[in-house]
Amino acid sequence: MHEFPIWQLGPLDIEIASFIAITISALVTFLVARLAVANLSVDNPSKMQNFLEWVVDFVHNLISSAMPLKRVKPFLSLGMTLIMFIFISNLLGLPFGIVTVPHHEMLWLGITEEMVKEHVEIAWWKSPTADISVTAGLALIVFVIVHYLGLKLNNKHYLKHYFHPYPIFFPVNIIETISKPVTLALRLFANIYAGEVLIATILMLKWVGIPFLIAWQGFSIFVGGIQAFLFTMLTMVYISQAAIHDEDDHH
Amino acid sequence: MGWHWESTVYAIIAFGILYWLLSKYAFGPLFAIMEKRRELILEQMNTAESSRKAAEQQMEEQKAALQQARKEAYDIIEQARTTSSKQADEIVQSAKSEATRLKDDALKDIESEKNKAIAALRTEVGGISVKIASKIMEKQVDEKSQEQLVDQYLKEVGSK
Repeated sequence: MHEFPIWQLGPLDIEIASFIAITISALVTFLVARLAVANLSVDNPSKMQNFLEWVVDFVHNLISSAMPLKRVKPFLSLGMTLIMFIFISNLLGLPFGIVTVPHHEMLWLGITEEMVKEHVEIAWWKSPTADISVTAGLALIVFVIVHYLGLKLNNKHYLKHYFHPYPIFFPVNIIETISKPVTLALRLFANIYAGEVLIATILMLKWVGIPFLIAWQGFSIFVGGIQAFLFTMLTMVYISQAAIHDEDDHH
Repeated sequence: MGWHWESTVYAIIAFGILYWLLSKYAFGPLFAIMEKRRELILEQMNTAESSRKAAEQQMEEQKAALQQARKEAYDIIEQARTTSSKQADEIVQSAKSEATRLKDDALKDIESEKNKAIAALRTEVGGISVKIASKIMEKQVDEKSQEQLVDQYLKEVGSK
C-alpha cells in the first residue's frame, strides 16, 4: 500500500495529502457554488443556478423529512454545505492518484532511509473523507452543533432525555449519544476508504483491471452520493432529536 | 494512515470557513433569489385571482345591465303599443264626431236656406200682389182704360 507523507512542522504532524485534499475540496465546493450564483436571476435562471436550486430543493426536502417544515430554514445552509462538501470530497480521490517513489530520505516528511530502499510509494492525493481524522472532524462539528442546539433551544427536554425512561438508563443514553458521531465518522470514512483501497487494488491488475476499474469507479460515485446524503440526513435527524421537542411534530 | 489530530482540526477549520463563505457569498444570495421568486409567483397568483374576480364581477354587471336594457326595451314597446292603440281610437272618435258635426251643419244650412228662400218668395209674392192691386185700383174708375190696362198687362205678361 501507499504511505502518506507527514510533514513534521514543530510539534505538529501535518499529513500533506489530507491537507491538500481538504483545501482542494473546499475550494472546488466554493467555486461550484460561486459559479452557480454568478448571474442570479429571478425569472431567467442559468443552468448552473437551476442545478443549485435543485440541490437546495433536495436538501430542503431532506431536512423537512427530519423536522417540522417551519424549522428547516436555519439548517438549510448547513445541510447544503455538508452535502456538497462531502460529495465533492468523496469524488475527489476517484479519478486519479498522485504517487511518487522517493529516491532519497526526507526526514521532515517522515520518509526514512529504509522506505527509500524498499521503494515505498508515497501518495499525495486522496479523498479527504478517506481519512478517519477528517471524517472525525466533520462528525465533531455535527456533535457540537447538535448538543449546542439541544441545550440552547430545548433545554429541559434535552437534559431529561438522558434519563429516559428511567434514571438507570443514563449510561445507555450516554453510550448512544457518543456512538452517534462515532458511527457518523466511521461510516463515511469506511465507505470511502474501502472504495479507494479497492481502486488501488484493481490498479495492481494493470490493464486487465480496466473494466473492473470503470465499474467500481461508477459504483464509487454512487456510494459517494449515498454517503453524502446519509451524513447530511443523519445530521438533521440528530439535530431534530436533540433540538426540536416532540410536541412540535404534532403541528 | 493513522490518526492525526491536526487533520481533524484543519478539517473543522476548513469546513467552518467554507460554511461561512458559502452562506455569505453563495447560499445567502441564492436563497434570497428563490424567496423573491416565491413572492413573485405568489403575487402573480394573487393578481390573477383578483383580476379573475374583477372580470367575474364585470360579467355580472354586464349581465344585469343587459337584463335591464331588455326590460326597458320591452316596456317601451308595450307603452308604444298602448299609446298607438289609444291614439287610433282617438283619431277614429274625432273623425266620427267631425263627420257628425259636418252633417248637422249641412242640415242646418239647408234648413235655413230653405226658410230664407220661402221668406224671400213670400215677400216677392206679397209685393207683386200689392203692385197688381194698386195698378188695378188706379185703373178701376174707367172701364175702358181698365180693360186696356188689363190687356196691356196681360200682353206684358204674355210677352214675358
